[in-house]
Amino acid sequence: MSVTATESRRERPAQDSRPPKSRHVDPTRRSQAVAAWVLALPFCLLFLVFTAGPVLASLGMSFTDMRSTDVRSPLGVEFVGLENYADLLSDPVFRKVTFNTLIYLLLGVPLTMASALAVAVALNRVTRLRGFFRVGYYLPVVTSIVAVSVVWKFLLRDEGGLLNAMIGWFGIDGPGWLDSTTLALPSLVAMSVWRNFGTMMVIFLAGLQTIPREIVEAAEADGANAWGRFRHITLPMLRPTLLFGAVITSIGYLQFFEEAFVMTKGGPLDSTKSVTFFTYEQFGFGNYAYASAAAYLLFLAIVLMTLAQFRLLREKD
Amino acid sequence: MNRTASALAALAVTSLVLTSCGRDDAGGGGEAQSTEVAEGAATGTIEVWAMGTEGDELQEFSADFVKDNPDAEVKVTAIPWDAAHNKIANAIASGETPDVSLIGTTWMGEFAEAGGLMPTPEGLVDEADFFPGAWGSTEVGGTSYGVPWYVETRVLYYRKDMAEKAGWSKAPETWEELHQFATDMKEKGGADYGLSLQPGQTGSWQSVLPFAWSNGASITNEEGTEYTIDSPEMAEALDYYTSYFDEGLSPSRLLDPGELESGFADGTYAAFISGPWHTGLVEEAGLSTDEYAVAPLPGKDSGPGTSFVGGGDLAVFSDSDNTDAAWKYVQWLSEAETQQRFYDVVGDLPAVKAAWETGELAEDPQLQVFGTQLETTEAPPAVPTWEQVAATIDTLVEQASKGDAEPEDVVKEMQTKASSIGTGL
Amino acid sequence: MTQTLQTPAPLGDEPATVGPRRRSDRGPSTPPWLYAVMAVGLFLVVIPFLWMVISSFKPEAEVRAVPPTWWPETVTTENYRQLFTKLDFPRYFLNSAIVAVAVAVGNMVFCSMLGYALAKLDFPGKRLVFAVVLGTLMVPGVVTFVPLFVLTTNIGLTNTLPGMILPFLAGPFGVFLMRQFVMSLPDELIQAARVDGAGELRIFFSIILPLCGPAVATLGVLTFLTSWNNFLWPLVVATSEDKYTLPVALALYAVGQNATKYGLLLAGSVVVVLPVLAVFLMLQRHIMQGIASTGIK
Repeated sequence: MSVTATESRRERPAQDSRPPKSRHVDPTRRSQAVAAWVLALPFCLLFLVFTAGPVLASLGMSFTDMRSTDVRSPLGVEFVGLENYADLLSDPVFRKVTFNTLIYLLLGVPLTMASALAVAVALNRVTRLRGFFRVGYYLPVVTSIVAVSVVWKFLLRDEGGLLNAMIGWFGIDGPGWLDSTTLALPSLVAMSVWRNFGTMMVIFLAGLQTIPREIVEAAEADGANAWGRFRHITLPMLRPTLLFGAVITSIGYLQFFEEAFVMTKGGPLDSTKSVTFFTYEQFGFGNYAYASAAAYLLFLAIVLMTLAQFRLLREKD
Repeated sequence: MNRTASALAALAVTSLVLTSCGRDDAGGGGEAQSTEVAEGAATGTIEVWAMGTEGDELQEFSADFVKDNPDAEVKVTAIPWDAAHNKIANAIASGETPDVSLIGTTWMGEFAEAGGLMPTPEGLVDEADFFPGAWGSTEVGGTSYGVPWYVETRVLYYRKDMAEKAGWSKAPETWEELHQFATDMKEKGGADYGLSLQPGQTGSWQSVLPFAWSNGASITNEEGTEYTIDSPEMAEALDYYTSYFDEGLSPSRLLDPGELESGFADGTYAAFISGPWHTGLVEEAGLSTDEYAVAPLPGKDSGPGTSFVGGGDLAVFSDSDNTDAAWKYVQWLSEAETQQRFYDVVGDLPAVKAAWETGELAEDPQLQVFGTQLETTEAPPAVPTWEQVAATIDTLVEQASKGDAEPEDVVKEMQTKASSIGTGL
Repeated sequence: MTQTLQTPAPLGDEPATVGPRRRSDRGPSTPPWLYAVMAVGLFLVVIPFLWMVISSFKPEAEVRAVPPTWWPETVTTENYRQLFTKLDFPRYFLNSAIVAVAVAVGNMVFCSMLGYALAKLDFPGKRLVFAVVLGTLMVPGVVTFVPLFVLTTNIGLTNTLPGMILPFLAGPFGVFLMRQFVMSLPDELIQAARVDGAGELRIFFSIILPLCGPAVATLGVLTFLTSWNNFLWPLVVATSEDKYTLPVALALYAVGQNATKYGLLLAGSVVVVLPVLAVFLMLQRHIMQGIASTGIK
């Protein structure tokens, strides 16, 4: 995806090689600033009213003891400082869901990225029926979660499940995938990879289109094999796209929720509960302040991770 | 930018809070009942929210009320059950409520404590007309905040044909009999599991608490200010409940939607405990009333045991601007005759006892079982934190069902957690 | 609002080729085994979708049956009949379409404007604006829900279509996307226009915007999809049934207090997903053509 392809290459000049600041106002700079604000104004107005306000309100909420029973008199709540945050850090359930979320992240991101990339590369090689395949591989993204959950539950069932039937051919007695505290989480990751790789696939596919044919042909002429071409040409050229994909996929897995909600309700024994699941639950219980605090801890984690990814995957030129 | 942003944000935040003032004791314990509604016909528009089928049918059903109260107009909005709680909570938060709404019985504590609901007026209805468990769901901190509309309760569903094969010509009535019944169903009746109970997770408290209530345990003190979960009765009930998983009489994993009915029809599960909606599902799965039957829950030493009562209450919002007419409408909906007709239209079990005395409700033997069970029911405590405590109970029941913890310790843990949450009243 | 895009949003066909175009679409010949692998993979991937479509023609009891059947034992159109007789279909469809189209167009316009400013123009507060916008992308929507609703009520937007549209008209995701895309456009283009004496706004509207076609269309698809599927917000904002959107109306009939009608839900899902697929297919082609005609080298 060329959207990000040139990202860091151009970002740096914007910061470093800016024309030396002069004391008097440069007319071009001024008209640029005016134009920029004119362009930014509609968005910023809407954003300030409908997004910034509620976000600040909820952030403020996380420093109080607000519950759903206080909604009619939100001024009456007590300010408790960082108490909610401190409570969260010592809440064993929150620790557990944090750990689970980390596992979701570590398993889910590489798997989603790898399968999306594999399918994208394969699709890129295919010359016929490309549109057909592309739509087909994209269908999981738009399939109703109800249908997805029914089929996946059937796949993963202990007795009479498709997966265990297949394992059975090799004489192995398969477990109840969703009933096990150790296997349920990886099972959900598999389902989530299945559901979400289509999104990344399309992005990677688009990214692959930007790799100039000439470079590939030159490498072929030099006798590089398919793996070598993938490793030394495709991957480096795709790096900015991979960065974008990694950031978006990571945000997705850190906010993992839907699959656990429809498949296991967070069980067995909280083994598939994620931080976002925890937040929804606390919100449902009416613990608005506590839920907000959990959400902002997660927010902090996402920000840190995004910054780290930008540093790690920055394009080297 | 910075200053503009914070100024605008501050403005937004203030606008959120300016509408109200301080954490006063609006709602919750000790509020007086509202004063009696005035004599005469209802007037003006009555806005009503109702969920699902109730919401779908109520508009047309209310034509009779409008006929008797020609100056009144009823405007019903049907709301999906999915997220109805969220919608009502938001409406109360913003003060943009309708006049009347159907409220799930377990939400009463939260909405009343928030000050969103108006106490029921003196003399509007007679408490004695309603099933006691159902009335209990409207009382928050000793004050009633609405009127029960319809009810559901949990009974024992079992395969009649398989029971006969196992040597049972009648339903079990005590805990001991139930245990024997489940064992016989498994050993002689041909079932894989004698009784399917929910092994923890969402909503399992609704299956566990009836056993606790039947054993004399109570969840909160009389005033609803403290949780009293830790008791020998509770521990004994949980021990009894989990014995079904230990002995393989009940599946110890959570069943998927539809699995229970399919399994009941093909004889995998010989019995289960559920509410009235399951008669339809079971029959759709292919069983006839010759093959299955319902019976009141077994009691500890004699039947019937105490069951869970759920359903819906009707409440009037504090922000309603037509409270007089709204309460009159609620009053009309809780008349025995109206209740009976509503059963005919929608199939909801009436909360008013008199409605059960004639017609199909009095004659159908299956319905009679529900009618009998309704006399002996309890509602979960109507306190704002109930959903959270219930979820805690669900998690801990799961641990006990999986044999990860001793019932006695589990009950202690429930108490510790519930106490730290508090009832919120 | 961030909740629209908290899951990795389907990015559709990304505006791709700005760099040198391929000389020909014919790559090295495709090995036949690849088609076999792709076909098997495709089968695994579309099964749930097919099951959804097929099962919507089963009676309720069969949909609920465990283990599920693949091919219906009894074929019925009852689910669809119920869906179309119970639902005031044209009205809900219209509401959904108005909201989704408005949200999509709004995002396309406002996000590309700010995205361009952030990518190519120099102005005070630029980095702060970007950081704040990107930051809100990461806030889970569940916690801002109540404040947002109270706000919406206080400005009198409950039970109106604008109340469903305005909060989502300017989303952080779109700005991020557009900024990244515009960044990849060559600076020389803008410099040349400036030398020619074009005003800053004119440069945006007559040079940049036409080149952004593919990205803008992608953003349109994405926001349309999210808005079309949005359930909770339209439900809470609408206080009368005539303002319901399609997913809300569907849940009304399919989800009960203690039991869910799965057959109806599946039939509804099929009906709801069709327009989305149509829009996707339509715009996907448009996006590809758009790139081909930009002519940047």
